[in-house]
Amino acid sequence: MRKRCRCGHCIMPPHILRKLIESKNPELRAAALNTMLSTERLRGERSIRALATLATAPADGRRTIYDCRQSTNLAGSVLSRAEGGQPVADATVNRAYDGFGATRDFYAKVLDRNSTDGKGAPLNGYVHRGVKFNNAFWDGQEMIFGDGDGIVLTDLTKSLDVIAHELTHGVTDNAAGLEYHTQSGALNESISDVFGSLVKQWSLNQTADQADWLIGADVWTPAVQGDALRSLKNPGSAYDDPELGTDPQPDHIGKYVRLPDNEDGDNGGVHINSGIPNKAFYLAATGIGGHAWEAAGRIWYESLLASGATTQFQDFADTTFMKAGQIYGPSSAQQSAVRDAWDGVGIRVGGTASAVAGATMAGGDLAPLVASIDALSKKIAVLAADVEALKPRKT
Amino acid sequence: MKIGLVEHGGLAALAGPAKVLDTAALSGTEAEELKRLVDAAAAAAPKGVGTGKAYDGTSYTVTVDDGAAPRVLKQSDAAMSPEFAAMLDWIKKRV
Repeated sequence: MRKRCRCGHCIMPPHILRKLIESKNPELRAAALNTMLSTERLRGERSIRALATLATAPADGRRTIYDCRQSTNLAGSVLSRAEGGQPVADATVNRAYDGFGATRDFYAKVLDRNSTDGKGAPLNGYVHRGVKFNNAFWDGQEMIFGDGDGIVLTDLTKSLDVIAHELTHGVTDNAAGLEYHTQSGALNESISDVFGSLVKQWSLNQTADQADWLIGADVWTPAVQGDALRSLKNPGSAYDDPELGTDPQPDHIGKYVRLPDNEDGDNGGVHINSGIPNKAFYLAATGIGGHAWEAAGRIWYESLLASGATTQFQDFADTTFMKAGQIYGPSSAQQSAVRDAWDGVGIRVGGTASAVAGATMAGGDLAPLVASIDALSKKIAVLAADVEALKPRKT
Repeated sequence: MKIGLVEHGGLAALAGPAKVLDTAALSGTEAEELKRLVDAAAAAAPKGVGTGKAYDGTSYTVTVDDGAAPRVLKQSDAAMSPEFAAMLDWIKKRV
């Protein structure tokens, strides 16, 4: 389809363009979208972009990658690759497209989840955003990539775990809605690091022992003295650079970093204190062994689904312990590994209440629960007798 | 007029460093354009981007020192006006 459309004057009537957008031919869809998006009357109209996005992504995480052409404002972006389209000359576009696909496939095949919202939400990516933009982020409905300034960071599409990290924010938003500040925010960040790493491990078919457990190993420039942005295996060790400083992540609850709950304070240190649950996951995954996405990943995912907006570290830890017991059985090797993992970062789970909660409630399997309650009752009776004996005699 | 720009936050939780653009180093035309962009950015209210959440988003603090009381313009990837974005891109191409 020849592009004869100029700013504000389009030879192709809108109703035909909209029909072409629904074409099964990806090239026709792409051309129609480009025509619509490049007209000046559509520039900056978010509703049209949303319509176009919906039209090209009806279900199953349909991917669409746009080129921002070094503009911070997304309104001037150009469609670069639509779902099913052939690789393009721009490697950044192709990496974003492939990274979206790997993440989408991981969630579908490993966790039976259809895209970020579980219902096939489209996956839209915007590359080459801004000028020397040292970042990639999720804005609640799409992922945005910078090229880096070439001094500190390079192209942010180069690390699959970064792509999966950002898309996982979409999963968390829909699953638990963990508020993005203080402990719930650090959990939110940790979930993204955990599943970011798992997507990479899954794509490489690595066991927990083989994985590098690094986030963003390919985005620092060679000038930066560091392995990655973060390490789940050794929080606090990812980088040590004279300009950037030292990786500030703690690996234990006793080293929790208290920061102001505002933008300057990283919203209470969400990118910093995520090191604590990150380390817990690493310990659980390596404690269980094998592929980290199979047992540990499943436990963490089910725990995410069972969490809420204000879930704190202790709540989440307790939930993982409970879920491990529900899925693999009370006192299973998996549940023990989860308990030991949290113990390793200074968070205790698996007390009497947790043990009772962790017992499976499947029909015909209440015996362990009954036994625990019976033991508790006997202890309470003994304590009550002791208290009674301490009371002064009435005279 | 001196413009200071600090970007902080983001996926890597980076902070700064501050970058400075001095209009004395610009042509007359460029200096006028910068002033127009700054005034437009100062007058425009930020607009929510995406759902207004911006996980791993960056915050931008632009300090404008033109001899009078310094002005501070601060917006983020979660909420940014097109005018602020235009000013930001213009400055970043020159620092």
